[in-house]
This record gives sequence, structure tokens and C-alpha cells, in this order.
Amino acid sequence: MNFDALTIVYILEIIVGGLLVGVGVHFVPVGGAPAAMAQATGVGTGTVQLAAGSGLTGLLAAGLMMSVTDNIWPILASGAVGAMIMIDATMMVGGWIYAYAVGAPFASAKVNYDPITGYSQPPYVAPGTVGQGIPTVSFVSGTIGGFMGGLGGALIYYPLMMINHNPSLSALFAIGIFLVNAVLASWNIQGTIEGFHDPKFKRWTKAFRSCLVATLILALVAVTITGGA
Amino acid sequence: MDALSMGLVAAMGALATVAGASEDIESDVGSQSNPNSQVQLAAQVGNPHRIYNKAISGEPPANALWATTAAVVAYTLITKFAMPALFAIAVGASVAALFNGVFSTSAYFGRNASQRRFNQWIYLDIVRYTTPSIMAHAWITAFCITCIAYIQTQILMPHHPFPMPVIAMIWGIAVGAIGSSVGDIHYGGEREFQWRIFGQGLNTMLSGQIVRKAEAGLRNSIDNAWFCAKLGGPFTGLAFGLVVFLDSWRTTVFDPVTQSGLAIGMGLFFVILMNLYNYYVETSVRRKYGPYPGYKGDIPA
Repeated sequence: MNFDALTIVYILEIIVGGLLVGVGVHFVPVGGAPAAMAQATGVGTGTVQLAAGSGLTGLLAAGLMMSVTDNIWPILASGAVGAMIMIDATMMVGGWIYAYAVGAPFASAKVNYDPITGYSQPPYVAPGTVGQGIPTVSFVSGTIGGFMGGLGGALIYYPLMMINHNPSLSALFAIGIFLVNAVLASWNIQGTIEGFHDPKFKRWTKAFRSCLVATLILALVAVTITGGA
Repeated sequence: MDALSMGLVAAMGALATVAGASEDIESDVGSQSNPNSQVQLAAQVGNPHRIYNKAISGEPPANALWATTAAVVAYTLITKFAMPALFAIAVGASVAALFNGVFSTSAYFGRNASQRRFNQWIYLDIVRYTTPSIMAHAWITAFCITCIAYIQTQILMPHHPFPMPVIAMIWGIAVGAIGSSVGDIHYGGEREFQWRIFGQGLNTMLSGQIVRKAEAGLRNSIDNAWFCAKLGGPFTGLAFGLVVFLDSWRTTVFDPVTQSGLAIGMGLFFVILMNLYNYYVETSVRRKYGPYPGYKGDIPA
């Protein structure tokens, strides 16, 4: 294959996509098993799982858009919107169960006042827990995380598709690069995070650096393998 | 937009709702849900139990495996052997259910055998009559997701460019992530721990103290399915159905070639609406339930 200026642009696009995924995962409010028992704030599943679920739904939307147009903007926007719909529907229905089945008001134990609504949090945190449910700040943060994840996934898929014009090959490579970045970010988060107001969020620069190195290598491999066939 | 496409999108939404519900109940019967750490922990803190225990991987990868297996088998039968689609998908789902059976039984034996020192028994009757129930639910999930993938790649216009197994894998990961996020709250917050005060999350002190007595006799995983089928399963189905329906609806009503802006704008509208709705739920719940009575801090409610 020719290693021309366009290829370098494609590699850069993949790197930016990977970084968006890596940083976006930090926005997703994830509480793991404790959240599933209303023992911690956030969505009751693992970081990678939720990020992958939403980002890959976005990839489906981006793939469909790319089959009808070559214009990058609708493809990226479609991917971002698809991921946001997935994560929002999940958080919304999960919130119904917290609110109406478990019967717990939403509260975060990491801040005294919700940065968006200004609601006080500690009086609503059940004794012996670190909060429960998905308060507004976590919900908005999750939406931003979905946006970045979907955008990142689409931004990885687009250049691969431009190189090889093979949707299945590009999709599988995009899923692989996506998961590597999501897992790296999850190591950084170590289990649970509530969103951008969580003190753990400040660690995102570490994930940024690791994702940069990992995606650089992956981008070179992906572009060479998928383009050389 | 034409009538057939709208009907197909509606069918996809319905299939996704069923897939989500059966996925959650499958994971609740097999205790592959998030509170599985408590099922594992229970024996260690002195509560041996009769609950199925097969959590050797997260729900999303496990469901991706079953959905992809079903789709690969179905795709092969359709393209190489010209089999009717519905029959091929049913055969594919059966193969996936067999995979699920091997996964479930080996996981149950392995996990419970490792807890022998805590007096945790391996109950052969639980394996005998719970495993088929788990496999049956996995069959439904795999069947519905493969049907969605088939509709998206073969019938719905424009055809999705990804091959059927890749779409099945992505929806499998998504349904697992949703089942894990939504259904588990009902299983963990409502079913496994029932002596906490209503309106409270699980106190850390209660870790491992799972409920072991059922309405009649000792609790087993079928009782969990009976309970979770009422709310946790349907809500999971609702969430997955919403994802599949809303995401496909906006690109079907608005032609992605000429009206891509409208399709994206409609998606953004849904997102803003859901954000506002969550704010409404938070406000109304705070108003109805109020702060916890025992709160001693100095921050006003």
C-alpha cells in the first residue's frame, strides 16, 4: 500500500477516535455490583460493558449512515446520537426501578450539592451506602460519555472504511480498537465512577496518555493490515 | 418511509423487548447478574444456599457469544444450504442454547465445588431442573436478536452494511449491558435482600446476607425468575426495545440519504427529552420520599 499524506490523516483520525473513547468512558456513571443493590451511585454494570454497549450501538448507526453517504459529518453525528440514545434509555429505565421498585431517591455521595440542579445530596444517601440511583449530574455526564464514545467509534470506523471499503472488516477492527481503549480507561477508573463531578475523574490524563500510545500502535496495524489486503 | 419498513421497525422493537426480558430472566435464574458477588460471598459468611451460580463472565460478552453463535449458524444455513430464514434462525438459536447449557453446568459445578470448604453443596436437582430453564431463556434471546439482525441486513431498506453475525454480536453486547444495568437492580435491590427498610439501598453490613427462604421451602433460582419476570425482566425488555426502536425509527421515517439532518435531529430530541424526564423523576421522588430519618449531618435537605 502507499503510505501517503491521506493515510497519515486516517491514522490521526483513528487516534483521535480512540482518545475520545478513552476519555468518554470516564464520563459514564458506573457503579458495578454495588449499584445493582442500590449501594452505590450509578448504573449497575461494569465500565467496559456499558461503554461498549453504547459505543457499539453508535457504530451500528454510523455504519448504516456510511452505507448511504461518504460525508463524514452525518456519519459522526449519527454514531454519537445512536450511542446517546442507548445510554440514556438504559439510565432512564434503570432510574424507574430505583425510584419505583427499590423506592430510593437518587443521591451522590461524592458531592454535597448536585452541580447542575443544586439539590443537596447527603440527607438522601441511605445509611451504610455511598448513594444510589442516577442523579441529574450523573445522567448528563453519562449522555456526554455516550456522545464521546459514539463519536470515537464512528471516527475509528470512517477512515478504515475509506481505506478498504469493506464494512465487516472495518467494523471488527473498530470494535477491537474501541474495546482496547474502553478497557484501558476502566483500569484507570478501578471499578466505579459517578461522572465528571467524581474526584476520580481527575485521573483522566493518565488514561489519555495510555490510550494515545495504544491507539497509535493499533492505528498503524489496522491501517496496514486492512489496507494491504 | 413506507408501510413495510415501519412494520419491520415495529417488529424489531417487539423482538428486542422480548429479547431483553428473556435475557434478564436468564441471568437471574442462573445468577449471572451483578449481585452474583453476593451469591458467591453468602457461603463464605456462613450462608450456604440453593441458588444457581454461573457468573464466570459478564452478561454482555456471554450474550454476545450466544447471539453470534446463533447468527453464524443461521447465516451459514441460509446462504450455503438455502434453508428458510425462520427455520435457520431457530436451528441457530438451538445451537446457541446448547453452548449456553455447557457454559451453565460447567460454571455451576466449578463455582460451587470451589466453595466446598464453606459447606456449600452441589445440588444435582438444581442442575437438573434449573439448567433447561436457563437454556430456554437463552434460546429466546438468541432467536430474537438473530431475527433483528436478519431484518436489518436482508429486509429493511437501506440494508445494513454489516454482516448478520457482527450485528448480532453488537446487539448481544448491548442487550447484556442493558440487562446488567436495568434488570439487576430489581434482582439485587428487591429480591436478594428483602429485610432492608423500603427506600434504602443495601447497607454494607448486610453483604452476603442473602435471603434463603422462599414462599414455600428453601429459595432456589426458579423463585428468583418468578419474581423478576414481574418487573425486572419487562423493564429490561422495555429499555432494549426503546434502544432498537428509537435508533431504527429515526433512520426509517427520515430517509438517511436526503434527510440525514432530520434523522440526527430527531435522535437529539429523544436524548434531550430523556434527560429532562430523569430530572422530573428525581425531583418527584425526592419530594415524595424525603430525606432519611436518621440523617445527622449539617447540610439541609
